[in-house]
Amino acid sequence: MARKWIYWLNEVGQEHNDIVGKKCANLGELTKAGFHVPPGYALSVEAYNRFMNETDATKHILKYLENFKADPNDLADTLKYEKASQDIREIVESIKMPSDMEGTVRSYYENLCKIAGRKDIYVATRSAGPASHPGQYETYLNVSGADDVVFNVIRVWSSTFNARSLIARARLNLPLHYDPIGVAVLTMVDSKAAGVMFTLNPVNGDVSKVAIEGSFGFGEAVVSGNVTPDTYLVDKVTMIIEEKVISDKGSEFVYNPKTKEMEYIELPSDKKKVQCLEDREVIELAKLAKMVEEHFGCPQDVEWAISKSLPFPENIFLVQARPETVWGKKRGESVLGKKTGLEMLFEKALTPTKIR
Amino acid sequence: MGEVKKFPYAEEVKLPPEMEGWEEMYPPHRLFSKDREDWEKRHFWYQDKIHDPEALYPLDDIFNEAWQISLSQYNTRVFCIPPAQGVQQRMLGCYMYISAVEPPPQEIIKEKAEIFGKRLPYVLQNYNMLWDKWIEKFKALGKEMQNLKIPEELVKYVPDEDIFPVIKGYTQAYEVISTFNTLVNQVFLAWQYHFEYLNLAYLAYLTFVDTARKLFPGIKESTVMGMVAGIDAAMFRPEQELCRLSRLAIAQPSVRDILKKNISAEEKIKELKSIEAGRAWLDEIEKIKDPWFYVSCGSGWFYHEGSWVTKMDVPFSYIKGYIERLEKGETIERSLDEITKKREKVVEEYKKLIKVEDDRKSFEDAYNAVRTIYQFTENHIFWVENWLHTIWFEKVRKFGNLLVKSNTLKKTDDIFLFNRFEVPILLEDMVSSWAVGVNAPPRSKYWMEKAEKREKILNAAREWVPIPGLGIPPKEVSEPFTVMLWGITSEKVEEWLKGADLSAKEIKGFASSAGVAEGPARVIKFSKDIVEVKPGEILVCPSTNPSWAPVFTQIKAAVTDIGGLTCHASIVSREYGLPSVTGTGVATSMIKTGDILKVDGTSGVVTIIKRAEA
Repeated sequence: MARKWIYWLNEVGQEHNDIVGKKCANLGELTKAGFHVPPGYALSVEAYNRFMNETDATKHILKYLENFKADPNDLADTLKYEKASQDIREIVESIKMPSDMEGTVRSYYENLCKIAGRKDIYVATRSAGPASHPGQYETYLNVSGADDVVFNVIRVWSSTFNARSLIARARLNLPLHYDPIGVAVLTMVDSKAAGVMFTLNPVNGDVSKVAIEGSFGFGEAVVSGNVTPDTYLVDKVTMIIEEKVISDKGSEFVYNPKTKEMEYIELPSDKKKVQCLEDREVIELAKLAKMVEEHFGCPQDVEWAISKSLPFPENIFLVQARPETVWGKKRGESVLGKKTGLEMLFEKALTPTKIR
Repeated sequence: MGEVKKFPYAEEVKLPPEMEGWEEMYPPHRLFSKDREDWEKRHFWYQDKIHDPEALYPLDDIFNEAWQISLSQYNTRVFCIPPAQGVQQRMLGCYMYISAVEPPPQEIIKEKAEIFGKRLPYVLQNYNMLWDKWIEKFKALGKEMQNLKIPEELVKYVPDEDIFPVIKGYTQAYEVISTFNTLVNQVFLAWQYHFEYLNLAYLAYLTFVDTARKLFPGIKESTVMGMVAGIDAAMFRPEQELCRLSRLAIAQPSVRDILKKNISAEEKIKELKSIEAGRAWLDEIEKIKDPWFYVSCGSGWFYHEGSWVTKMDVPFSYIKGYIERLEKGETIERSLDEITKKREKVVEEYKKLIKVEDDRKSFEDAYNAVRTIYQFTENHIFWVENWLHTIWFEKVRKFGNLLVKSNTLKKTDDIFLFNRFEVPILLEDMVSSWAVGVNAPPRSKYWMEKAEKREKILNAAREWVPIPGLGIPPKEVSEPFTVMLWGITSEKVEEWLKGADLSAKEIKGFASSAGVAEGPARVIKFSKDIVEVKPGEILVCPSTNPSWAPVFTQIKAAVTDIGGLTCHASIVSREYGLPSVTGTGVATSMIKTGDILKVDGTSGVVTIIKRAEA
């Protein structure tokens, strides 16, 4: 009996990290914990293995690589990697999924449509590596229809052969032909605004704050740094929005149904500097951030999206959560130096306050 | 940094000619002088707008004299906070300027550190016992002051009982002189007690702020303050009594109806006295009046503010407001338990955010230290500035009456135009003329003309706008009050140097209680006008006073010229969940009653949205 290679999100948790990849494991964990996560399913690394090995993919790739020579540390060879990437991806993307797999991927998608109560719903196919490589692999948004879902899952797999990944593997002396990842197929949120939040202030590491960044449209705009988002700082205890910077957001990242592409559309001038979130949404997000942090037990970096079509607060979705890495590492170090209250009083009494 | 900007020195300040002669109102050691010029120029002086926003009546200066000694000595001679010296005062043009004295030489700091090391832990470990002793001796002192006898008038002949069977041996002449001296001594003693634990409490607070900032770099000071001082404790009981009296009134329709009328307190009392239920209700006030109505209508620092017991219109207007709210079915009482629980919950939640065990312990320790001793700052204000000052003013006025009866002064309150060293001269003049015989005149004309001239100088002083600072701002300050109470920061000094732009639409201050509110402004420059505030208005004032707490149930937000995060307005606003911006420096000069304001207590910005129709 073949090993299980596809899971509903609520079937996986953090313990499935190596099986379905970090993103899917975390999303599953969030789903199981009762957070509002868009419905979806996960293809495990086993699915990648099956695809690569049960078809001719691996064979063709290895053959191609026989004649490939390049130095990953030589900048001039970058072009060689890009060429190889293009060729290998062409190979991968021209291969069909084994038919039983394809049937299962399709039927899971149909099930998502059933949950949504609509046909041909939009989903995102996202990469989910067992180790974190933010931004290394690719994600495809607004995929609609079972055919496209199947194809885009393959495209995500093939993104393990993008030039960056090839160079990265070459530098680490890892095999070039093989880098198993999971894929998440997630219902798209028709987001009016989306963004990222940290369960601490990334500027100074203050763990009593939730820092929220958001902009109009889909969250990729914020994650990629292509727009200057609004920022909100909320105190975790008092739940007061202590700082609010409303930026000129310029454009929003939206789906163009005509071209079937995602694109940046310039915002009307009267909307550019409008707060992208209602205050109650900001506070609700901060509450969720706190709960996510509590659930995972360490500072988190959470992606969220707010639906256009649902009423508050059901309109708020969490679409990703992962440990915050910069300040999170410093945890465990004492900042007060094991001093008693009395010792600190002495220290204070002896230290003048600088005023100029 | 570039060149260090400076304020003018005292000698460079030009005063309006109408103020000529102002110096003679204050004792010589309280003035800037040539003989101490070098020392004075070495220090940075700023106007004490917290305690003396107004031109100062000479007799009211007694509290300053007393606190200069008391505050300073607890830093320098009693608890010996190592680098901290005292806060010195000088008068300039009827306004008081203060300065934290530069730190002492290293060897003194070392000596002090040793003493401080022994005394500080003792206080923290024994605070509860020490507080019990404090309150006991303080109440006894107030009672002694209350028991001072000042005659209504000087007798024509000493009565028989002073002669038979044993001659008393002295007369009212001696008693008047001696009683005034005793009264002055008692005020000085009260102010000695006033600072007994205050310096350490401020130090503990500043330590806790530092601790919280190290753990949570972005924590708002108003949040830290909320953890330490959740409530306006000094006023809690007087307010509770007002609530109780209001509930009693509601139960008696005849009493309630009288109290709801738009007539003076005096007329209300007259009407109440005419009915049984009214008399019973007035008896309830009588029972609690001392001490709980010994509440200043202002800060307690100025004779003209009056107290509830002398200006019954103030508590009666609060009671009227409470009755009206009770009739609407609102709750008027504040639950101390609830406020305390809320505060504890906030502290607990912050504690939970600290993941390092050692840090959590240190935080807890610093918190416990500040909570233990901070109670002093919450409790002493009622007993000193309200209760005891009320008694002081009442007693001083008796001397004033006597001076009027003997034709030495025109009006009772003219006594406040003479400083505490001069009053004994007036009194001696009065009793001398009494002693030497019938028709022997005191120097009435001289005193009366002096009083008149001084009143004119003070009027001119009120018109003059004192500059905020004198001399060169220092680099650092180690004196806890300067940092905490007066909030001397580089930003503040910088703002003073720039001077205020009175046409601007935005005013900045301390973000002392979070939230945003919009509404019409009510500018209250003098505390007696507080009764003018209407529901839904935004209170704009130089500073708020503890006795104003009931007003906070009516207003939408509060804005003050003076005061940091620990000032009364900040504490009460946080308690009632109203936005407040404090320490703006200029709000009362820039804002007019009726202007539409937006108060953002989260960012500390007040915006004038629309000017009132002229």
